[in-house]
Amino acid sequence: MIINGVVIDDTFSEAFSMRATRIIITAINYKWARHAAETMTGFATSVIGCKVEAGIERVIGNHETPDGRPGISVLLFCTDKKTLEQQLQARVGQCVLTCPTTAVFAGMDGDDRIALGKNLRYFGDGHQISKMIGNQRFWRIPVMDGEFLCQETTGFQRAIGGGNLLVLARHISQALLACEAAIDAISSLPNIILPFPGGGVRSGSKVGSKYKELSASTNHPFCPTLRGEPDNKLDRNIEAVMEIVIDGLTREDISLAMSRGIEAICDLGKSQGIETITGGNFGGKLGPHHFHLREIMDESYNRYL
Amino acid sequence: MSHTTVTYKGSVEQRIDMRWLSKVITLSLDSEQILKETIAIGNQQTTIGELFNISGDNTSSDYVLENATQKMDYIGHALTQSNTLTVMGDCGFYTGAQLLGGRIKIEGNTHDFSGCGMSKGLIEVSGNCGNHTGSAFTGGKKGMSGGTILVHGNSGNFTGELMRRGLIMIVGDIGDHCANRMIAGTITNLGATGKHVGAGMKRGTLLFPHKPENISPGFHDCGRHSLGYLTLLLHEIRRFKSAFQSLHPMRRRVQRYIGDTTVEGQGELLVWIG
Repeated sequence: MIINGVVIDDTFSEAFSMRATRIIITAINYKWARHAAETMTGFATSVIGCKVEAGIERVIGNHETPDGRPGISVLLFCTDKKTLEQQLQARVGQCVLTCPTTAVFAGMDGDDRIALGKNLRYFGDGHQISKMIGNQRFWRIPVMDGEFLCQETTGFQRAIGGGNLLVLARHISQALLACEAAIDAISSLPNIILPFPGGGVRSGSKVGSKYKELSASTNHPFCPTLRGEPDNKLDRNIEAVMEIVIDGLTREDISLAMSRGIEAICDLGKSQGIETITGGNFGGKLGPHHFHLREIMDESYNRYL
Repeated sequence: MSHTTVTYKGSVEQRIDMRWLSKVITLSLDSEQILKETIAIGNQQTTIGELFNISGDNTSSDYVLENATQKMDYIGHALTQSNTLTVMGDCGFYTGAQLLGGRIKIEGNTHDFSGCGMSKGLIEVSGNCGNHTGSAFTGGKKGMSGGTILVHGNSGNFTGELMRRGLIMIVGDIGDHCANRMIAGTITNLGATGKHVGAGMKRGTLLFPHKPENISPGFHDCGRHSLGYLTLLLHEIRRFKSAFQSLHPMRRRVQRYIGDTTVEGQGELLVWIG
């Protein structure tokens, strides 16, 4: 498959199962909501080293938030429920509770719940107030700027992490340009985060390592400086490879994000130095979710027809 | 919409214990069988059929009680989740007592102890309520523990006494001793409030438009604040069709008092500002 001169490899990108939750952070204005959201999603690029992958999903208008203030929704992904709960509480406790004027609410409904303000309430040292509103419990914790309002629990669900695209370009600046176009297109979608810095990854990894202690190591078949090695997969004209990693709540969310990303990259075309789009295929070692690039694009075109 | 209509024939002077009606509603009993059952009226026994007619769709979970009077006690006692009972007329004592869910709508007034011991559901009264609305049974240690009571008129003394959880909304005035020994929950109104509000109050929220007179000396002024949670509460309050819908959900500036500190309570009395 070739789109605007860009080859879409006949392969799939591999992803793994995760658990995800969403919270909504509100504040007196977007500035402070964003401070809290950016702080709590810091150092949350990969479960390999951070235990959690987190990012800002979208900005939410006053009319959509529970307390009628500007808000930001944040998605967090972990490999299991226990870690998700631990990471959520630690990050909300240290990054949202501490941030001036913020409040935090559940961003997911459903019976599967994890603690949000349930344990943070003890910070109130006995002065915290519980309020049942409808069938939801909220905690009001006195703090030095008034009250920190937080919902007791939030929902969580099964999700998928590690959906990816690899962009092969003739020059680093062209690879970056392609990535930025794709990231802009994907970022506008709901239920999706791009957990790495700015949405792009230059240190794509493969499963395993020659060192026993490491579960992942550099994806050397796609490193251009190793182009002469026998198992390197890059053509002579490829000088840079950039990866976009996508975490999503459902398979459909990731498929849509990948197709939007590929379309945005292909809009630039081969004339902008973009040669190939491929996926991180580890032969099934990484996870059970396989996103076939050409099938995704076929489905995408069928949607337009 | 199909419903079952229960009509009182208006033939006795004594009080009538209406718990039989809740049994009929929750168990969906056959009307022919019910009318033959006996009921005590004073020191006499009679059949339900002597006092009431039952007509309509017996399989429906919606019931209408017509010609209700203040002599009927325990109307809607312990109804459950799916039931709706509309009462045309006034009610006696213990209306909606120990309610477990569902909705009771009263097109009239209720006597004392409405919603006492209720744990879920909604009681809506178009007129006034007597004393002890949402409180505990006499001698009990806990009042209503959940659900909502909405009164479009006034409520009497000891509203929310020993209330444990839930929401009481009074459009009009509230009598004396409101929230007496309140444990938790929320009481709000749009009218005046009587004396001795919140005496012995441990926790919970009282939200009034005016500062009540003669509040306990155990209440201390904590100043003026904008409380974000009030938006959530107002969204909940505004779900019900009532005069409370005139309150804007972003209105959250209040004067806050905490008490009753004479019993080491941390309840709050909030008075709207502006």
